[in-house]
Amino acid sequence: MSFQTVFQSLTEGFGLNCLIFAVTLITAIPLGLLVSFGSMSKFRPFKFLERISTSKILRAISKFAPIRWITRTFVWVIRGTPLMLQIFVVLYAPGLLFEMPLRSRETAVLIAFAVNYAAYFSEIFRGGIEGIPRGQHEACQVLGMTKAQAFFRVVLPQVVKRIIPPMGNEIITLVKDTSLARVVAVTEIIMCAERFTKQGLITPLFSTGIYFLVFNGVLTLFFGWLEKKLDYYKG
Amino acid sequence: MAILEVNNLYKSFGKTEVLKGVNFSMEQGEVLSIIGSSGSGKTTLLRCLNALEVPTSGQIIVGGDVVYDSVVQKKPPKEDQRRWQLSCGLVFQSFNLFPQYSALDNVMLAPSLLAKERPDYKANKKQIHEELLEQAQALLNRVGLSEKMNNYPCELSGGQQQRVAIARALALSPKVLFFDEPTSALDPELTFEVLKVIRELAETNMTMVIVTHEMNFAKEVSDRVIFMDEGLVLEDGSPEEVLVNPKNERTRAFLGNFQK
Repeated sequence: MSFQTVFQSLTEGFGLNCLIFAVTLITAIPLGLLVSFGSMSKFRPFKFLERISTSKILRAISKFAPIRWITRTFVWVIRGTPLMLQIFVVLYAPGLLFEMPLRSRETAVLIAFAVNYAAYFSEIFRGGIEGIPRGQHEACQVLGMTKAQAFFRVVLPQVVKRIIPPMGNEIITLVKDTSLARVVAVTEIIMCAERFTKQGLITPLFSTGIYFLVFNGVLTLFFGWLEKKLDYYKG
Repeated sequence: MAILEVNNLYKSFGKTEVLKGVNFSMEQGEVLSIIGSSGSGKTTLLRCLNALEVPTSGQIIVGGDVVYDSVVQKKPPKEDQRRWQLSCGLVFQSFNLFPQYSALDNVMLAPSLLAKERPDYKANKKQIHEELLEQAQALLNRVGLSEKMNNYPCELSGGQQQRVAIARALALSPKVLFFDEPTSALDPELTFEVLKVIRELAETNMTMVIVTHEMNFAKEVSDRVIFMDEGLVLEDGSPEEVLVNPKNERTRAFLGNFQK
């Protein structure tokens, strides 16, 4: 078997890894932001009970914050179970429960990845947003900015700077996680390499590491550059 | 007509009553200093007057507009609250500049966001921006920072940061400008340059309320001084009356600490 064949097959496989990577990033970042808002939600429909009653039970009910509870439970479930299992669930559950089987295994993988990474990202975003001093919000308020203006013009740029290191971590993990697509026979790079292994050739499998290393090397350089670029201010 | 009127203002946090019926009013161009020990409610009062806290009850009138009245409603609607906040300016103890923007952009940000709401914004975008830029430059010039316009807050001293914050508050042309212990985070030398700016503002007929521990400055710059204690205005009069010949025992005790 020629080097050419192996190289071509692995590169093709890695293309799929890159696709999963890109689609996950593009979908999980906005989704994660949404989830982080949910987990910071102060919406309490029974808050008024706190004022009108001293009964312990009613006061407990007044603490009920449905949006926050739902999103935090979601984050707990997603972070608390293996991504591999989640891929299986997304692929098989619609067919088993609603008789609406997912036609494409790739779609199942993309959905599972987007949801999984949104949960992790949301916690990073929440940390970043909650870490911005209250004075920044108050300054925006007294300057008559709307909540949206304050968030997008003042808070978010500072959050971006703060979360680069943890996001870098998570994104590098994502690159490697993409090979989990293999469990539902999506022909990503490792699966491609295993085909050669079955024919008695082990080198392709080991060489897949080079692809990941190079890709993550580039990402590391990128995050280093980004961090430097935002180094023009402190705070 | 009074430019600021505070009637029977109460504020509690849970069971702790911080403001217990504050009353005062001030005229256009007046400079009012509020003194008092920590925990006397000075900062809470300022935060209530800037809609950062919702008072428990009372009435606030700014420039003839009733911006808050607990009899009418517990909390004003968002749009009204925004208009209220735009009519007042607040300079914080800890500056709270936006770190990712240069001094110039810190001053320009809020006015340029506000300008987008003008009906003629789309047509005169360039001209409006030009005007705002000129205004911001003039303001930074006025606080003595024309050399530092393009510097970021982290590159400025505390005194310079506070002067940018003053320019930023002035950019929205507030009817009343509030200062919350503007020099408490600064050393004496930097304090001097900030107080100089406030002094110059006083000469331009700007209406100002200054919460301060700088007694000499209060004496020199204010038209009136209020002494607050335990959520109440105990003394209200000219600097001479309050700082030199206080009637109240509590005021005398407080001021005695500064003569030691």
